[in-house]
Formats: sequence, C-alpha cells, structure tokens
Amino acid sequence: MVAAVSVPSQAQTVLRGRLCDPAFVHSALRSSPDTNYSKLKYLVASSVSEACNNSVLLLGPRGCGKAAVVDMVLDDLRKEHPDAISVIRLNGMLHNDDNCAMKEIARQLCLEHQLSFSKMASSDDNTEFMIDMLRECGLAHKTILFVLEEFDLFAQGKQRLLYSLLDAMQSLTSQAVVIGVSCRLDADQLLEKRVRSRFSHRKLLFISPSLDDIQLLVEHLLILAKDSGLPAKYITDYNSRLTSIFSDKKFKGCLNSLMDADATTSNILRFLFRAVSYMDVESGFPSIESFLKALSSMQRQPKMDSLQDLSILELYILVCMHRLEDKEQSSYNFTSIMKEYRSIQDAYKTSDKYASTVCFRAFEHLLDRELISFGDNRGRNQALEYRPVKLLISSRELAQSLKLNTTCPVVLQKLFDRERYM
Amino acid sequence: MSQPVTPRRATRSSAAYPASPTSPSGSRPKSTPRRQPVPTAAAKEEEGEHERSTVDVLLEALPGRRAQATDLLRLLAPAPALPLLLHGGAATGKTRALLLALRHVRPRPLRVAYAALRSLPSPRALFASLLTQLSPPSSSSASSRLRIPDKPSDFVAALRDALAGLSAQGEAVYLVFDNLEVVRSWDKGGQLLALLLHLYDLLRFPQVVLVYVSSATPDAYYSMTGSIEPNHIYFPDYTVDEVRDILMRVHPKPKLYSSFLSVALKPLFRVTRRVDELVAALEPLFRRYCEPLGDLKAVPDESIKRRLFEHIQPHLAVALNETFSVPTRTSVDECKDRSSGGKARSKSQFGSRDGLPTELEFHMSVSAKYLLLSAFLASRNPATLDAALFDSTGGSDNHRRKRKSSQASMNMKDTMAEEMLLKGPGTFPLERLLAIFQCITSVSEDYLGDVECPDSMMNGSGMTGLMPDVLLQLSTLCNSNFLSKSRSCPLEGSARYRSNIDEDLALKVARSVSFPLSKYIYRR
Repeated sequence: MVAAVSVPSQAQTVLRGRLCDPAFVHSALRSSPDTNYSKLKYLVASSVSEACNNSVLLLGPRGCGKAAVVDMVLDDLRKEHPDAISVIRLNGMLHNDDNCAMKEIARQLCLEHQLSFSKMASSDDNTEFMIDMLRECGLAHKTILFVLEEFDLFAQGKQRLLYSLLDAMQSLTSQAVVIGVSCRLDADQLLEKRVRSRFSHRKLLFISPSLDDIQLLVEHLLILAKDSGLPAKYITDYNSRLTSIFSDKKFKGCLNSLMDADATTSNILRFLFRAVSYMDVESGFPSIESFLKALSSMQRQPKMDSLQDLSILELYILVCMHRLEDKEQSSYNFTSIMKEYRSIQDAYKTSDKYASTVCFRAFEHLLDRELISFGDNRGRNQALEYRPVKLLISSRELAQSLKLNTTCPVVLQKLFDRERYM
Repeated sequence: MSQPVTPRRATRSSAAYPASPTSPSGSRPKSTPRRQPVPTAAAKEEEGEHERSTVDVLLEALPGRRAQATDLLRLLAPAPALPLLLHGGAATGKTRALLLALRHVRPRPLRVAYAALRSLPSPRALFASLLTQLSPPSSSSASSRLRIPDKPSDFVAALRDALAGLSAQGEAVYLVFDNLEVVRSWDKGGQLLALLLHLYDLLRFPQVVLVYVSSATPDAYYSMTGSIEPNHIYFPDYTVDEVRDILMRVHPKPKLYSSFLSVALKPLFRVTRRVDELVAALEPLFRRYCEPLGDLKAVPDESIKRRLFEHIQPHLAVALNETFSVPTRTSVDECKDRSSGGKARSKSQFGSRDGLPTELEFHMSVSAKYLLLSAFLASRNPATLDAALFDSTGGSDNHRRKRKSSQASMNMKDTMAEEMLLKGPGTFPLERLLAIFQCITSVSEDYLGDVECPDSMMNGSGMTGLMPDVLLQLSTLCNSNFLSKSRSCPLEGSARYRSNIDEDLALKVARSVSFPLSKYIYRR
C-alpha cells in the first residue's frame, strides 16, 4: 500500500503504542515493593486461596492509575489461577440504576459460564440468579470478583445493589471479593449504615507520583529497549540523545511546571504523547524543542485566547460592562449597556458608533463564546435585551487582552483605565 | 429584535472548489455519514505521495491554518492515539479541517463515523446514527433488525460489539463527535456528556480514536469522574489578512475584488470577525461597487478606484449599521430598474444620516397596527396616566405643563428611568389594552376619512365594526412575538400581556398610519 515506513516513524508508532497502553505504563510497579499493586494483589490472592470474602476500596484522584492497577492484578491472577476466578465489571456511570446493574451482572455471569441469558428476566429473577451463582461458585471453590468503577455513583439513591451484593457475601458458602474504585476520597462515608457495617474498611490510597518517580517513569516510557524491532544503531543513537535531553535544565523546568499544575500520571502521559507526536520525522530523533512545544500547547488559557479573537465592537461591549460593574450597578442588562455605549460615543465621538441590531449581534457572539452569561435562571419569559447579564472574565484578563490586542483603539484603552482614577 | 440570518456555509467552500472531485463533505449539509473512502483515481494518485506533500495539499485547502493542520496530522495518526478535542469559535473551520485531515491521514482509516450532534434530537438518535455507521455494509439490508438501545449501558455494549467486528482487521476507526457543546442543553445531557468523554476508557480498543469538536472551551468539560482528558487543539479566529486571502481565493475578478476589499473589509472587520457574516455583508456591497463600471473586466487604476470608493462610501455606512437582512421586494425591483429615479428612491430607503430605514419592512393590517401601538403604549406608560392621556376628546397635550422640577424629583426620575431600563416593558391586562385601542381609533377616525369603504354600513360604524376581529388580531400578534403573554395575576386571574417591540419599530408603525405616537409616550 504505502512505501516502506521510515525508521523514525516506526519508532514513533512504538512509542505512541506504549503511551496508550496502561499495562505498559504501570508495569514498573510490578517490580517495586510495597506499592498499592502489591498490597492489592496480596489481598485478592489470599482471598482466593483461603476461600474467604473480602472487600476493598481504591481511592485517589483521577489519572493515578487505579484502574490500571486493578487490571494488572486481575491479569496476574488469571495467569496464576486460571480456573478459580471469574470477573464481573460494573461501571457506576452506566449501571446506575439497580435493575440495570442486576441485569448486567446476570449477563456477565451467563457469559462467563456459557449459560444463555434471557433479556426478559425481571430484576428479582436476576437477583435470585446472582445469589444462586454465588452459592454454586462457592461450593465449586471459584471466586467471583466484582469490580465496581465509579463506586461513588453506586452510593447514590437507595444503594440496593451494594446492600444485596455485600449481604450475599455474608453467607458461608459464597466466595466473592468486591473491589471498588472511586475518585472521591470520602466514598466510604457515602455508604448507608447497614451497607457500611458489611463492608470491610480496607482502603488503598493512591497519590500522585513525586518528581523522582516521574523521572523514572519518563525514562521507562521513552527509552527504547534492544528488542523493540528497530535497527540497533538507531536505538543507541536515540537513547543517547534522549538521556542528554533528560539532563538538560530546560527539560527539568518543563517537568516542574507541568507538575505544578497537575502531577497525575495521565497528565504526564498526555505531555509525552504530544512530544512524541511532534518528533521531527526527518531528523528522526527527539529534540528539546518538541518537548517545549508540547508544554506550551498544553498550557493555553482558553479565555485569553477567546478574548484575542474578539472584534472591536465586542471589546467595546465588554468595556462598557466593566464600567457598569465598576459603577457598582448590581445588575444590568443589554439596554443599560447600550445606554452606557451611547454615552461613551457621545462623549468621545469615535468612529465606532453602530446601530442597536448590530450591537445586539455582537452581544450574542459574546454569549456564544461564554465570556458573558445571563445572571438569572428565569427562562424564556423575558426578552433577551432585558435579562440581567454578568461578566465571566476578570478585569485583569480584560486589561491584559486590551494591551495585547494590536488593533484596539486607544480610546478603548483610555476608557478602561480612566475608571481607575475616577 | 429580529434575529440575524447567517447564510449557509456551503457558499464559501463550494464556491472555493466548484469542480474538485474530492470536495469535502464537511460543508453543510453534514448529515451524510462518511463511509470508507472508495479507492478511486484520486486515491491512487495520492498513494505515491511523500508525507511532506500531503501536508502541503492539506494546507492548500485550509488557508491560514498551518499550525493546526500539522498538529492534526501528527496527533491523529497512526493509531493508537489519545482522544482529541478541537475547540475554537464559530466559523473557524474546525470541522472542515478535521474531515480534510482524515482524508489525508496515513495510514488510511478503515472507517470514520461522524455524529453531527447539532442535528440529532436526542441521545437515542445519536446511538442509532453511530451504530448504523459502524455496522458492516453487508448487513445494511437487515438494519431493520438492529435494535436501537435506549440506555447508555446497552449502547456501550452494542458499540463494543460493532467495534470488535471492525477492528479485527487491524486498521484505525475514527469516531467524530461534532458540536459537543449542544449536549449540555439536552435532557439528561450531563450524564451523556460524561459518557461520551469517558468512551476512551470504557471501550479500551487501541484501534479506536475519538475526536471531539466543540465551540465551547475545554473548561466546560472538566469533570470529576475518572476520564482521561483529551489533547486540545485550538482554532483561533482568522486575522484580516487571512480573511482577505480566503475571500480572494476563487474570485473571477481578482483585481477589482482586491481593490474593493481594501476599502470595505477593514471597517466591517471592526464589527464582526466571523467569515460567514462578512461574506453575507460583502456580497451585495460588491454588486453596488461594480455598478458605475461599464466594463467589468477592466483593471481599475487610481482614478477609477477613487470614483468607486466615493460611490460605495454611503452604502458602506449603511451596511455597517445593519445585520444581514433579506432584501425586500421593493429593493430588488429597485436594483433591476436603475434608470427611473433610482437616486431619489435610494435616499428614501437610506433615510436619515444614520442610515436606518424609516419605512416599515413588512405589511400589517391597519387594525393590527393600531393594536400594536396600543400595546406599546400600555407597556410603556404607567396605568395611572391613562386618564390624563386618553380623555374622550383625545386631547393629550393640554395637560403637559412644564413644572419646575426640584432636585429630589429629578433624582427620583433618574432612578425610575434606570428601573425602566432594567425591568423592561410592563404588563397590562386585556381590558386596558382594549380601552386604549378604542380611544386611539376613535381619535384617528378623522384621519381615516379618505379610506374608501364600499360598504356603507362600515362607513357609519367606523372602527368599532372591527371589534370582534380584535381578539383574533391579538392572537396573531402573540404568535408573531410582538406581544407575549405573561403569567396571569394571581388575584384577578385575568391574562396579562406584554409588548415586545422597541421604540424604533413603534415609531415606524405609527408613521405608516400617521399617528402622533410621540405625543402619547410618557417621557421622564
């Protein structure tokens, strides 16, 4: 189809594949001791081998690798005990409704054990089926692992699913482990009293990696190993260049500023993905410029960008709104803005005097860009010109954007500054 | 206020590529789903291209979008790729750039499923659209058997099945969600938005690449749940020079058009920077610009340019003060018929120095006009003034004696004026409206002396013969949004109405029936 893919493109593909594969990203955890991975593995493995019930919660901010750790543990266990485990996965976003969740559990159980699933079964039938299956699997020494993602969403409402699950685990013959994953650090406080009493209060806390860990992670992800399927000379050249970049001060500064904003693993992955994609395929090797370019494209400020895109009339409207706010008018609408606009035009006689319809169109553009919004929730009864509006940008942002705008008329800048001295 | 009508975007891109076989389906209408690009001659000629020249081809088609196009090409392919979010204002070319890039990306994607969220009415329609686009073409005859899922969980399961069938072939599948911001206003939109942004984690297919296009900034989509944040690409608005390049691209008379643009573009650019609105405003202006020229193929020199500039100047001033409006029949006729007193008529159309048209642009019956005026007065004036303004003789200016106003009363007048600006037009019950209507029409009967009525009975009863139709007129006016019905008063239980027109329109209506409206308006 296409001519032979060049070596740098191949390298790029390999690297991108690595960055998008959570198993590879977190595989370094397998070797290090006393991580959440090892704790979880020990917990689940001991439950499986000792044939007892257990429950655990994994908590941590998003992007810290909780789901990846669960997947790794499950993979390991499937390899070690191939027949003793069956996994049911539920997601709080999809299976919020208890009936829906029961149906999904029944469906996955049927899938695992090659039974035929009937879509017409009622919720009670599904619950009974689940309890029966738990008993049967317990008698056969097979553990069922329930993985509940977005655990806090299951804790909304009546928590019937959680109660029935945890209650079913209390019987002697069942062997089940419930693993809950959630971004809310107080997810266990959301549980009802009767559910919480049946829940073993094991929590594994995930935190964002430190700077050293991130350095190690970056090296692990980007350094190509000998067996990557690429020519050996390229690999050695590439690795040497990469190590020189890692020791560069600018790169360290890059990582620091990235971590100041968001130190989670997924943020680092996004950054590396972008840097790898910006890699110059012609020269074939990574450079510090691609990392810096990736950083700058990740650190945009959307509101400032929108402010740079405005026309002069729209800027006039924003400055008028700002002046009205400075005059301590608690609420104002389009007609008051127009009054202010006309008074400015009469005072300064600029060339930018436009009719009401044109100004209203500019006003609607500002509403679309979400730089201003309506201040009330009252709905459609009032005409748009009379609904109170408010600014969604701060005065500092407006001042900065007026300075940066090259076509901004001087009068506008004066109008904005003059209020300071009033 | 009348809503500005923006023209179809198809004019720009279809005008730019009239005969190209690979013209993108990105211009509106966008409802056709994109299937696998058929290997035609166009595809074969592109096969031998180096990566550098695909970028060039893409940049040719997307003026002023160098950085965004290179970013797109680099971040989209090859799979696997993290999800992508394109954001920017309206009419900045996001969808077009994306669809063009998907054509040029290497390796060729197996399937591109495009969901135009703006034209889909509900989540179920979205599910249906995506699943039909992803189902293998062989089973299209059996598509009636495809059960459209209602719940998100069923949808994700069905999507997984469909993608499993496709990605077994090893090539990339792209799912594009256009206009993601409209999902926020759907019923249960928040959950659906969280689901769509979470699809990357839910599906876990390395061959599937998700692309989102939104005109809202990424801060609108931050959420607490554990979804992976997509890579952003920002599309800024075009600068003046880029707009000029776009407009000059395929124009049959480049020199004439460039001299026109050097005059007309900058002033219009101060009002709005959106290319679709600029095109709508520039088209009729260009026709006016070319009017004095006898031979359109001539290359203009300095003297001709000056002459054309003087000709276009007043029209430009008018165009700056109006949003795009559909030309009425009178103006169209006037364009066709230039010889007979065109200048005089154009003056009357342009009206005052400000350039606002003073004639009413639509037709209403006389009784409807009077009803509208009474509604305007009822909303505008406080109820206590009615007795003074509308006595039986209709004399309104007998009582206007200028009193010396003290400082306190002036302050109170100022605050009341502010309040009126804030609160908007007031409501009035139906009885008050009818009372004012009767007063006004009884006064104006004298002015209507020359209205010819074949029916002698009508002549005798005058306007009162129209009373039964008034309620019909009222409902017509409500439907056209000149009046709106408010909540009825809880004490009295009668319906209350509110007028929605502004003073300019009311003055125009009054002028067309020769009614002295300004004498009746309560001015503070």
